[in-house]
Amino acid sequence: MTVNTFLANTGWLYRFDPRAKILLLILLLGWFFLPVTLTGLGVLLLLILFASLSNPGPRFVLATFRSILPMILFMILFAPFNVRSGQPLVTIRFFVLLTEEGALQALKLALRFISITYLATLLFATTPMHQILLALQWYRLPYNAALVITLAFTYIPFIADGFAQIDESHRLRQAGEKTEGKRTGKLKSLVPTLTSSLVLALRSIPTLALSLELRGYGRANKRTHYHSLDSYRSTFTDFLISVMIPLISFLIFKA
Amino acid sequence: MGRSPISSTNSLDVKNLFFTYHEWGDKDPLALFEDLSFSVPQGSKTLLLAPFDAGKSTLGRILVGGIPKYFPGTLEGTITIMGNDLATINVWDLLDRVTLVSQNPQEQFVASTVEEEVAFGLESLGLEAKEMRGRVENALKHWGLYELRHVANSELSGGERKRVLLAAAEALDSPFWILDEAFDDLDLRWRTHLSELIRSTDKTILLFSSRYLSHFTDVFDQVLLLGDKQIRQTRVDQAEEEFALLSGDTQTQSLDKETIDPLQRHIYQATNLILERRRFSSSASEAFHLSVADFTLESGELVSLVGPNGSGKSSLSRILCGLDQPLEGERMIDGKRVDSSALNRSVGYLFQNPDLQIFLPTVEEELSYSLRRIKGLSEDEIAKRVGECAALFDLDLTHTPTTMSYPKRKALQAAVYYLLDRPFYILDELDSALTYQRAVMIISHLRRNGAGILIITHDRQFISYLKGRTYTITEGRLEEG
Repeated sequence: MTVNTFLANTGWLYRFDPRAKILLLILLLGWFFLPVTLTGLGVLLLLILFASLSNPGPRFVLATFRSILPMILFMILFAPFNVRSGQPLVTIRFFVLLTEEGALQALKLALRFISITYLATLLFATTPMHQILLALQWYRLPYNAALVITLAFTYIPFIADGFAQIDESHRLRQAGEKTEGKRTGKLKSLVPTLTSSLVLALRSIPTLALSLELRGYGRANKRTHYHSLDSYRSTFTDFLISVMIPLISFLIFKA
Repeated sequence: MGRSPISSTNSLDVKNLFFTYHEWGDKDPLALFEDLSFSVPQGSKTLLLAPFDAGKSTLGRILVGGIPKYFPGTLEGTITIMGNDLATINVWDLLDRVTLVSQNPQEQFVASTVEEEVAFGLESLGLEAKEMRGRVENALKHWGLYELRHVANSELSGGERKRVLLAAAEALDSPFWILDEAFDDLDLRWRTHLSELIRSTDKTILLFSSRYLSHFTDVFDQVLLLGDKQIRQTRVDQAEEEFALLSGDTQTQSLDKETIDPLQRHIYQATNLILERRRFSSSASEAFHLSVADFTLESGELVSLVGPNGSGKSSLSRILCGLDQPLEGERMIDGKRVDSSALNRSVGYLFQNPDLQIFLPTVEEELSYSLRRIKGLSEDEIAKRVGECAALFDLDLTHTPTTMSYPKRKALQAAVYYLLDRPFYILDELDSALTYQRAVMIISHLRRNGAGILIITHDRQFISYLKGRTYTITEGRLEEG
C-alpha cells in the first residue's frame, strides 16, 4: 500500500549522508523559529530552492509549490488582518485594514512556511525510505518507532494518490452537458471525494497490519538489514556542513 | 537460519471450521463457513475452486491467523498448519513456514521499492546481508524484475506487482505457499511460468481460484470445491465441469449473436498517438513509450485490448478517456477533435479497482449521484431509473457499498456507468472478479444503446466470448490482430 516519495536523480544532495541530512533538517527547522531578519529568511529560501532545482529538479519545485499554494494564499490574505499595530497601509474610513507590521508578519510567515515545506520534502525526495529508516536507527531510534515514522510519511502520499484517483473518477462520472464552472463543480465534489479517500485509507489499516505480521514484523529474533549506510564516504564532512550552514547563517542574519 | 522441523504429514488440517463476520448494522450476521473440514498433504499441489463471493480470501486470511485478529468475526474449529495449532502461534512466527500471496497485491506491500519488498521478510528472519542479496537477486531475476529493482511499488503495473509478491515468496523459500488468485493480473508468459513452477516444486501449494484456467491442466493432484459454506473434494478430471455447475457459469453466451442497433452511430478515432510513462523513483528505468498509429472504436463494437504486463494498456486507456494527455497525436469523435473534458463525458472508464469509483453510503445514493446532476430530471424519473437499474444488476438499494462483496461492488460500478449511458466504454479487467456469464451480462447491459466497448483482459477464453476485433500491444506499438 505504500507510495514512494523518492525522485531518482544524481545531484549532490543524493550523495549527502542521510544521517547528516536529518541533522541539517532539524537544525534548519529550529533556525526558522529563531529571531532572524526578513532578508535572512529570503536568502535561506533561495538557497533551498537552488538545492531543489539542482537536485530533484524543476518538476519537484513546481509540484511542491502547487500543493502548498492554497495555504500560501490563505496566509497572505488573512494573516495581515490579525496584526493591528504599526503604520497603516490600507484604511477604509476610520477602519485600518492593513498595517505595515501586518504585511511584514504575513511575509515572514509565508517565507517560513514555504522554506520548511521544501526542506522536509527535499529530504524524502532525495533519500530512499530505507536510508531514512537506517539513519533514524543510527540516532538510536528503536526500529519500531523508525518504521512507524517512515510508514507515516509514505501513508500521506498514499492518501493523496487515492484522493487523485477518486477525483478522476468524479470527472468520469459527470452527467449531461457542462452546466457549472470547473471550480464550482470541484468544490461540490470535494466532500464525497474526501470521504471516500478517508474510507479507502481506513480500510487499508487492518490489511497493512496483517501484511507487516506476515512479513515477520513482531518476531523475537534480531532483525538484520539488507542495506547499509557504509557507502557514504564523506560522513564527517557532511556533518560539518550540516552544522556550519545553520550556524553561519544565524550569525549573519540574526535580528 | 534453520527452518523448524515439520511434525505432520499434512501441511494443513482444518477441522469443523465455522466463521461469521461481525455485522455492524441491525442485520443478523450470516455464516460464511459452516463445518468446513479439509486437509492438504505435505508436498501436495491443491487447487481450491470457489465462486467469487464464497469467501476464499477470507479463508486465506483465516489460515494465516489474520482473521479474526484484524477483521472481526466469530471463528470456531481447529486449524493445524505445518504441525502447529494456529490458535497457539503468532502470525509472524509462520514466516519461514507459510507464505500467503494475496489476491490484491497492492494491499500486501509494506516497503517502498521492489527490492526492499522482497528483502523485508528476509530481514525479519535475521539473515546475513550476503545471503539476502543472493536470494533477492535470484528471485528478482527469476520473475523478470531485476531491471525494476529500484522502482517504487506505486509505479508498477498490476501484473508487475503480483510478480513482486511471488518473488518475495520465492526469496523466503517457505515450504507451504497459499496463493490467492495468483494467476490474476499475470500475462500469458508469467501464467505459464507460474504453472511450471507449481508443477516442478517440492513445496506444498494451495491455490485459490474462482476460475478454472487452461494453465491448471496436469498441475494439481487434489481439487477442492468451496461453495454454499461447505468444502468438498472432487476428481481432478471432473473439476472444471463441476466447478462450472457450482459457480453457475455453464451457459455463457458468446456476444457475437447479439444484435445491436445503435440509436446514434459514433466513431472514436485516435491517430498517431505517442504516450510516455516515466518511473520517477528509478533513474535506471528508462521512460516507456507506446505509439498508436491508428485506433478506432465504433458504436456497437466489442474490441479487446491485450498485451504483456506493463505494456501500457492502462496508460492508453487513460489517454483515450481524457484523464491524461498524449505527447503527440489526435483523439476524435465523429471526425471532430475533442478535448479532455468532452472525452471524460463520452468514454466511461471502469477502473480495475471498483473501490476508487464508488464512494457514497448507500447503493441508492451511488446510483442517483450523477442523475441528480442532469438538469430537468424529476425525482420520480430518477427513482424510476435507479430502481430499474438496481433490478437489472441485482443490487439492493439499501446496501452499503463498502461492506458488499467484491463482485457486487464491481456490479455497482458497472451500474453507475450504465445510468450514464456513454457512447463508449473501456472495461479494465472486468472479468477478473466475475464469472464469464456475469461479465458478459454486464457488457450486454452497457451496450444496450449501441455503445462501443473496449475490453482489457489477459484471459483468452473471455476474449472468445466477445468475438470482436483485437488490438495487441507488442514492443511499444499498438497493432490490430
